[in-house]
Amino acid sequence: MADHTNLSHRFFLSIALLSTVAVTEPDLTGELVSLRSSSESGVIRLNDESVSRFITSVSIPRPYSLIIFFNSINLNSEPLQEFRREFGFVSASFTSNNNNRSDVTDKLFFCEIDSTDSEAFHRFGIRSLPQICLKAMMEEDDVDGTAESVAEFVESRTHLTVGPIHRPPLLSKTQISVIATLIAISAPFLIKKVLKGETVLHNSRVWLYGAVFVYFFSVSGTMHNIIKSVPLFLTDREDSNKLVFFYEGSQYQLGAEGFSVGFLYNAVGLLLAYVTNALVRVRNVNEQRVVMMLVMVVSLLAVKRVVYLDNWKTGYQIQMYWPSSWQWH
Amino acid sequence: MATLESPPLGTPSAMRSAFGTVLSALILLLIGVLAFSIRLFSVIKYESVIHEFDPYFNYRVTQFLSKNGIYEFWNWFDDRTWYPLGRVIGGTVYPGLTLTAGTIWWALNAINIPLSVETVCVFTAPVFSAFASWATYLLTKEVKGSGAGLAAAALLAMVPSYISRSVAGSYDNEAVAIFALIFTFYLYIKTLNTGSLFYATLNAIAYFYMVCSWGGYTFIINLIPMHVLLCIVTGRYSPRLYIAYAPLVVLGTLLAALVPVVGFNAVLTSEHFASFLVFIIIHVVALVYYIKGILSPKMFKVAVTLVVSIGLVVCLIVVAVLVALVASSPTGGWSGRSLSLLDPTYASKYIPIIASVSEHQPPTWPSYFMDINVLAFLVPAGIIACFSPLSDASSFVVLYIVMSVYFSGVMVRLMLVLAPAACIMSGIALSQAFDVFTASIKYQLGRSANSKDDAEDNTSTNNAPKDDSSSGKTDKGEEVAKERPSKKGKKKEREPADKPSVKSKILKKRALVLPLEASIVALLLLIMLGAFYVIHCVWAAAEAYSAPSIVLTSQSRDGLHVFDDFRESYAWLSHNTDVDDKVASWWDYGYQTTAMANRTVIVDNNTWNNTHIATVGTAMSSPEKAAWEIFNSLDVKYVLVVFGGLIGYPSDDINKFLWMVRIGGGVFPHIKEADYLRDGNYRIDSEATPTMLNCLMYKLSYYRFVETDGKGYDRVRRTEIGKKNFKLTHFEEVFTSHHWMVRIYKLKPQKNRIRGRAKKLKLKTSSGLDSKPAKKNPWI
Repeated sequence: MADHTNLSHRFFLSIALLSTVAVTEPDLTGELVSLRSSSESGVIRLNDESVSRFITSVSIPRPYSLIIFFNSINLNSEPLQEFRREFGFVSASFTSNNNNRSDVTDKLFFCEIDSTDSEAFHRFGIRSLPQICLKAMMEEDDVDGTAESVAEFVESRTHLTVGPIHRPPLLSKTQISVIATLIAISAPFLIKKVLKGETVLHNSRVWLYGAVFVYFFSVSGTMHNIIKSVPLFLTDREDSNKLVFFYEGSQYQLGAEGFSVGFLYNAVGLLLAYVTNALVRVRNVNEQRVVMMLVMVVSLLAVKRVVYLDNWKTGYQIQMYWPSSWQWH
Repeated sequence: MATLESPPLGTPSAMRSAFGTVLSALILLLIGVLAFSIRLFSVIKYESVIHEFDPYFNYRVTQFLSKNGIYEFWNWFDDRTWYPLGRVIGGTVYPGLTLTAGTIWWALNAINIPLSVETVCVFTAPVFSAFASWATYLLTKEVKGSGAGLAAAALLAMVPSYISRSVAGSYDNEAVAIFALIFTFYLYIKTLNTGSLFYATLNAIAYFYMVCSWGGYTFIINLIPMHVLLCIVTGRYSPRLYIAYAPLVVLGTLLAALVPVVGFNAVLTSEHFASFLVFIIIHVVALVYYIKGILSPKMFKVAVTLVVSIGLVVCLIVVAVLVALVASSPTGGWSGRSLSLLDPTYASKYIPIIASVSEHQPPTWPSYFMDINVLAFLVPAGIIACFSPLSDASSFVVLYIVMSVYFSGVMVRLMLVLAPAACIMSGIALSQAFDVFTASIKYQLGRSANSKDDAEDNTSTNNAPKDDSSSGKTDKGEEVAKERPSKKGKKKEREPADKPSVKSKILKKRALVLPLEASIVALLLLIMLGAFYVIHCVWAAAEAYSAPSIVLTSQSRDGLHVFDDFRESYAWLSHNTDVDDKVASWWDYGYQTTAMANRTVIVDNNTWNNTHIATVGTAMSSPEKAAWEIFNSLDVKYVLVVFGGLIGYPSDDINKFLWMVRIGGGVFPHIKEADYLRDGNYRIDSEATPTMLNCLMYKLSYYRFVETDGKGYDRVRRTEIGKKNFKLTHFEEVFTSHHWMVRIYKLKPQKNRIRGRAKKLKLKTSSGLDSKPAKKNPWI
C-alpha cells in the first residue's frame, strides 16, 4: 500500500531540466523575465500554449534553461504541495540572490505545469513513463523534496549558482512582538491566579477532558498515523470516485478508520459514564427509560460494529468454545 | 462482582462484614487460580517447555545460578557466546527474574520438593500473574474500594496483553516485572492514603525489586514524580505526599544503584532526573507550607515572596545544571528507546535497529482490541468515575492510564504496561455500573413490595439492602477521602464522620436510581460484555499466545503435525560435536544454541556488538570461499541455517536474509544490497541475481533441495528456486532435520595438496591463524 502511494508521488514529483545555451532569441527571454516578475515567487505557470512557445518551437540549443515542476492540484497530496512550496523558495532565493546579475538570472527560469494541462504532460511523457522517466532525468537520491536539494540539482546541471535559500521565518516579527506583549500583559494576572490557586490546572474538568482526549488519541492509533504519515483515506484504484476508508490487514490503518473506531471505543464508555453519573440524577422516570434504551442500543451497535470490523480487518474469528455436541452444521 | 462484596462501613452487623471478607478472600483465591490456569494452555497443548529465544537465556542463567550459587553468578563471564569476545553476564542482566526463580527452586528443594529448574522456570510466569492480580486488587481497593478491586483483579487475571508475556514457559523479565510494577504503585498509593513511613519503606523495597527485574522501572521513576508534581500544581500537597515521595527517591535511588546493570546510571542518566527535580520542588513546597503554619498570614505574605524567589533561583540553577548535563552526554543523555517515546519520529529517523524491531512499531486500532479487548470500551467510564470525586489515589490511576496509553500508542510493546491500568479503570467502571444498576433494581423491587407504606418509610427500609450492594460512588469517594488523614487519627475520625454521611446518603439515594427493566437489561448487556471478554481472553490464551515457537504444530486435513526440528538439531549438536566446537548461525538462534546444545556461538540475541553481527551477516552473504575464510578465522566448525522452504515455515533465514545483507553491508561496504535485488525484491527464483544464487545462505539453504520433489519448489516464497543442482566446495552437510527446518554444515578442512594458487591461499590463511600480528582481515 505504502509503495503504491509513493509511486504515485514520484510520478508527479518529476522535475525536468531543459538546459541549453547559445543562439540568442532575446524576445523570448525578455518575455520569460516579464512573466517571472509577474508570477508569485517567480515560478512561471506554463500551459499548453506557452510550452510550445518556449520549449518545443524554439530551435535547439535554447538560450535559457527551464526547470519545470510537474504539479497536480487535483491530486491534493500534502507532500507534493510541500515540495511545491520548497520549489518556490528556491525560485525566490535564486532571483533575490542574483538580483543585479541579469546574465545569471536570464539563463534559468523556474516553471510549473499543472496536470490540468494534459497535453503538456503528454509531451513530456510524464503519464506514460512514471518511474523510468524520473530516473533518466536525475538520480532519485538527488532530490528529496527540500529546497536545498533542488538548488543543488540546478547548480550541478546549469552551473548557475542559486545561493542560500531564503525561507520565510516561522513567525513574522509582528507576530512575535504581539505574542510578547500579550505574555507581558497577562503575566501579572497569571501569577496572581497561580498564587490564588485558580488556574485551569485547578479545574478538574480540564484534566478530565485532557485524559479522555489522550485516550481517544492513542486508541485510535493516531501515533501510528503520524509516524507513518498515513492519509485520511484513499481513492479506490479502479474507481477514482470511490473512497476507501478502511484498509484490510492489521498492520496498517487509514486516518479516518482510526478515528472512527477510536470514536466507537470512546462512545460506549462515555455513554456508560453518562448513565451511571448523570442519568441517575434525572427525576423523570420515563425520560430515564428512553435515554437508557437509546444508550444501550447505541452501545450494543458500537460494540458489534467494532467486533465486526476487527474480525474483518485481522481475519481472526474467535472460537466460542461451545460443547461439541451443540454444533449443528 | 461488585455485588458480592460486603460493606466496609455503615452496616451494624459485624457478621455481614466478616462474611464479606471471607467471600472476598475466596474470590481472590479463585482469581489467582484463574490467572494461573488460563496460562497453562501452552503446557497442555504442547508441553512443559521454555519458549522462544530470550527465555532460553534466562533459563541458562538460572541453571548457572542454581548450580554455582549467587557469588559465582555475579562474577560470571560467559565464554560460550560472542566468541571470541565473550560476555559479562553478572553485570549486564536484570537479575530479578533469575534470582526469583532460583530462590523458588531452592526453597522447594529445601522442603524436599524436587522440581527441576526448568519446571520452576516454566511456571514462574503463571504464578506471578496470580500475584499480579492480587496486587491489582490491593491497588484498586485503595482507589475505589474492594468491589472495584475484585473486578479489576478478575480482569487482569485474563487480560490478553499480559497473557502474551506470561504463559507457562514464557520465562522473561516482564513475567515478574508487571507484578512488581503494580505492587510498587499499590504501596505508593497506600503510603499516600495512610502517610505511614512503614509503607514508604516497603515501597522503596518494591521499587528495588522492580529495578532488579526490568528496564521498564524508568516508567515508575517518572510516573510517580509526575503525579507528585501534579498534586503540587493542583494544590493537593500534603505531608502524606511528602512521606510517600521523599523516602522513595532517597532509598529507591540508593537501592537501584546496587543493581549492577543500573549502577551509577541511577543518578547519571536523564531518565532519572525528573525524580530529582521533583524531589527539590517538593522540599521547597514543604518549606512553604511549614512557614505558612508558623507565621501569621501577614508575615507569611512577606515570607512567600522571599521563599518563592529563592526557590525559583534554586530551581533555575538545577534546571541549568540538568540541561548542561543532558546536553553534554552523547545521546543528549537519553537512551534511544526513551527518546523514541517522546519524539515518535526520532527512532525511524535515526535508529534503524530500533525501528526495525516489530514490537517497537506503533500499534493500529485492532492491536488494542486484540490486547485489551472490551476494556477499551470501559476505560473512559473508569476515567470519569475516577474524577467523581477526584482523590490523590484516583488522580494517580488517571495519570497512569493517560501515560501508559500514550506510550502504548508509540510502541506496541508498551501495551503490556497499559494492560494493568486498563484493567483498573475498567474494574472501576464495571463496579460503578454494577453498583448503580443493582441498587436500582433492589430499590425498585423493594418499592413495589412496600408500595403501600409511607414514602418516608420507603426510603429508610430500602436504604439498608441498598447499602450492602452499592454504597454508591459517593460513599466510596468519601471513604477514600477520609482515609487520607494519618493513621493515628483515622480510626477515631471514621466513626463520627460516618453518621452524617449516612444521613446525606438517605437524602441522595432517592434520586440515584434508574428504571427497573432498563437496569435489568443494562445489567444483562454488561454481563454479556464480560462474557465476550472471557471468551476472547480464553481464545487468545489458547490460540494466539501459547505457541512456544520452539515446537511448531500445524493442523491439516490428516490431523495434527508436530515440527520438533529445532530440538532435534540442538540435540544432534550436543551429542555429535565436541564440547568446545563453535557454531555459527544468525543471531536469532544464539540463545537457544548455548542453552540447549551447550555449544559456543558467535553472536546471540543480546545484540550488543553490531560489528560482530555484521561479520556473520557478511559471511552469510558472501560466496562460499569468502564465507569459509571468515568462518575459519572465527574458529567456526559448524554453520547452522534454518530453512522453511520444504514445509512452508515463513520465519526462516532466507526471509531474514535482507537484514543479514543490510547489517553486513552497514559495516563491510563491499556487500551491496543492490547486488541481491532484482527490481527491488529479494528473489531466489530463476530471476535472482548471480550474487544471490552464489551466496552462502542460498547454497546452504537449498543444497540438495531439488532431491525432495525434483523441482525445488519453495513453499514459503511460492516459487521454484533459481539454481537447483550445485555442489558445495568448502562446506559439507552433516545434519538435516526431519522436516529440513534446520540444516547443519561443517567447514571442510583445508586441503593437504599444495598447488600453485592453493599454496598461496593456504599460506595466507594459516599465517592468519598462527601469527596474530600479521593477521589479515580476510573479508575486507
